[in-house]
Amino acid sequence: MTLEEAKRYLLWRAKELGLEAEVLFQEARELSLRAREGALEEIKEARQGGLGLRVVAEGKVGYAYTEELSPEALDWALEEAQENALLSAKEGALPPGKALGSHDLLGEGLSAPLERKKEAVLALEEALREDPRVKSVLMGGYLEREVRVALKSTQGAEGSFRTGFAALMGSFVMAQGKSVKQGWDFKAGKEFHALEPGRTALEFREKTARLLEAKPLRTGRYRAYLEPEAMAMLLSVLAKALSGKNALEGKSRLLGRLGERIASPLVTLVDDPTLEKGLLSRPFDAEGTPTARTVVVEKGVFKTFLHNLETAKALGQRNTGHAARSYRGTLEVAPTNLYLEPVGNLALTEGVVVTEFMGLHAGANPVTLDFSLQALGLWVEEGEVRHAVENFAVSGNLLELLQGVEAVGDDLDWLLLDAAYGSPTVAVAELSFAGA
Amino acid sequence: MLKPELVEAVLARALKGGADFAEVYAERAKKRRMKVRSGGLEEALSGLDYGAGVRLFFGTEVVYAYTNDLTQEGLMEALETLLRAKGALGKVDEGGKGGLDFRKAIPKGLHAPKVAYGEKDKRYRLERLLEAEAGARIAPAIKEVEASLLEWEEEVLVANTEGVWAEERRVRTRLFVLAVAQEGSEVQTGYSAPGKSVGLELFDLYPPKAVGEKAARQALTNLKARPAPAGTFPVVVGPGFGGVLFHEAVGHLLETTSVAKKASVLADRLGEVVASPAVTYIDDGTLPHAWGSTEVDDEGRPTERTVLIEGGVLKSYMVDRLGHLLTGYPMTGSGRRQDYTFAPTSRMRNTFIAPGEARVEDLFAGIEFGLYAKEMGGGQVKPGSGEYNFAVQEGYIIRKGRIEEPVRGAMLVGKGPETLMRVVAAAQDLENAPGMCGSLSGAVPVEVGQPHVLVSEIVVGGRA
Repeated sequence: MTLEEAKRYLLWRAKELGLEAEVLFQEARELSLRAREGALEEIKEARQGGLGLRVVAEGKVGYAYTEELSPEALDWALEEAQENALLSAKEGALPPGKALGSHDLLGEGLSAPLERKKEAVLALEEALREDPRVKSVLMGGYLEREVRVALKSTQGAEGSFRTGFAALMGSFVMAQGKSVKQGWDFKAGKEFHALEPGRTALEFREKTARLLEAKPLRTGRYRAYLEPEAMAMLLSVLAKALSGKNALEGKSRLLGRLGERIASPLVTLVDDPTLEKGLLSRPFDAEGTPTARTVVVEKGVFKTFLHNLETAKALGQRNTGHAARSYRGTLEVAPTNLYLEPVGNLALTEGVVVTEFMGLHAGANPVTLDFSLQALGLWVEEGEVRHAVENFAVSGNLLELLQGVEAVGDDLDWLLLDAAYGSPTVAVAELSFAGA
Repeated sequence: MLKPELVEAVLARALKGGADFAEVYAERAKKRRMKVRSGGLEEALSGLDYGAGVRLFFGTEVVYAYTNDLTQEGLMEALETLLRAKGALGKVDEGGKGGLDFRKAIPKGLHAPKVAYGEKDKRYRLERLLEAEAGARIAPAIKEVEASLLEWEEEVLVANTEGVWAEERRVRTRLFVLAVAQEGSEVQTGYSAPGKSVGLELFDLYPPKAVGEKAARQALTNLKARPAPAGTFPVVVGPGFGGVLFHEAVGHLLETTSVAKKASVLADRLGEVVASPAVTYIDDGTLPHAWGSTEVDDEGRPTERTVLIEGGVLKSYMVDRLGHLLTGYPMTGSGRRQDYTFAPTSRMRNTFIAPGEARVEDLFAGIEFGLYAKEMGGGQVKPGSGEYNFAVQEGYIIRKGRIEEPVRGAMLVGKGPETLMRVVAAAQDLENAPGMCGSLSGAVPVEVGQPHVLVSEIVVGGRA
């Protein structure tokens, strides 16, 4: 069966069984190219698709998915979803659906011929090698992804959208004297044509080169300048605490703090799924709620959790349209394009510029918001960067960090993780640094 | 899953298109996840992953395609797209390519489950999860408990133009318990997650109640713990998941994925002393029912036990097919991938520090002030610079050789080669523990392990 046929079959069978059902279907195409030492080293071409099912049986919700589209596999998925629902202890319902339209958020963004893309990745790889300090290029890479998402339910929801992105990647080792650093960078946009391999390679190189000949950092408490990438990583941890679902499940330290000042007045945090060039923009969320810009923290005051229908109802807030689901998963709540608004009052005086955090999945606890993270950085004195520093960890609690924000830059850079996170450089009054 | 004639046709077409080597990997995996909280089932998900990947080598250039359409048309279309992308159309090699004579490897069932999933219904699983949740409710300060069960039942087929035909059924089960403890505004978490290549006998190996209790005790310990001190100290790393330190600090540096490109600080060092004599480091894909074991790797090659470092001397890397082509090192059955959406690369399986001679108490005896990292979270490394980090999930201060008050939030950071040289001794109490390892070919199940190990100094990231 095709995905379309499978979708129709499932909804028809669900109705026959007296179930409410919602089918989320996703089709993705991926192209990835990797170059090394002046030649293409790997080409990957892929198509992947599947159907995610959410059914309601006796007022309770169950999930299943399948990538195999035979009638047996579809029947299996439906049976499993029904059984999962009946075993559930929690009540739930599908939203009343409506027509959501068909949207194209990608247009001709990826429509260049393959040859141009090969040239781009070769140019990137070559430019990465144009620095004698680059000892080895693991790869210069190009990645594009095109996704079509469609939603249809027995309750009348029906809509689809097409989106995607193109990205350049670089992984390389630089050395000077005995000092060795590895760079791993990724730069994504909505259009292939907007990528600039030469300039991007230079950026990638500079980002790592400035970390060479690093000195140990003495243990102490210093002012921290978190560069966009470092701050964006922390936002991805904070995002877990902003989820209405985590709040409901007792896993957010922000529960009970709506309307309170949880951050410095310089902090305004916004999630905007409608951003024109937003990497994760979308017209409606995973259960068919049309999306809108949501101010989560305004001048330091906590305004709202991110919600889906169920979490909004349970916490008595407006649904923000942040239901998130891949067809292989259950319904969650997640940001799309979450960013800290630029301010423009930042100047370097003294402290440590943190360029990058490492070990985020283990070193930052999304429940307690405590973090202790390996970092790379630069030592700043008298308003100037003096040298790189290494072999240290930065620790604290994210909520304390947000209270301590004393300046926010005017730049805004994005990092694509589970969602797109954007941030300017942020100055924090004092953080704890463990080193030599 | 796929008929030999179909696979043969695909492989033959690939050779005709000019490939030196071609491989088909097909997979059908049933996966189930159940989550319990507050005395009932919160959500349950069942799924079927189904797809195939086709990999071709042109010299050392690799092209890879995957699709969910496993019909003849679907696979051929994926292949043709690849050949077009490579620009290999028209480059037809008709010479000497007779029919393939697959050597079918019969699976031995080394890791076959004792209690198959079909033997028990979902209610049975739900009851075990409820026991785990109840097991964690040991104090009023435990405010939130989540118990989840993960089941993977995977059928894999790998066939290639060298006549390899390997099929394997891989069953893995894992139980997770997360406990959240709160007192006033202080919140801490505890975690326990045993997993094996077994079926539902996991519940006999790890009684759910005890797993719940372990997570809760850790959360309560962290609740009364003070922030860890910051600085450079001697560290005793506990057994089991403590092995993640060496997984990050050394293991990743020995994969040909980075070694072949000289992007590992341990490249070109075979036969050299790379660690203190106390370090013998082994990667064993054959351990019965271990979380990271399989009979064959994802390139269809039997897994093996690979001694990586012996008494401080580098003996072997972990080598996949591409790594072998690039370096000439013999393959070690280390080609692994998350699923059909990834081409395989060299990866760890069950990697551990071999037991030493020391008694556990000897390791602590000489320490004036240090850290006991009893339970670990995960970590990360940059192989090119050897810079690694890993988080301590449960830690204690060592004072004058004694284990004293608990501390939390410690992150250990360093450079792998330096840490290897600073290993003072390993005790005799080897244990392994399961985890998921993420790298170029996705997230794969691995075990890490070690006995108690003393490292003379590591940077401990705590509160300054």
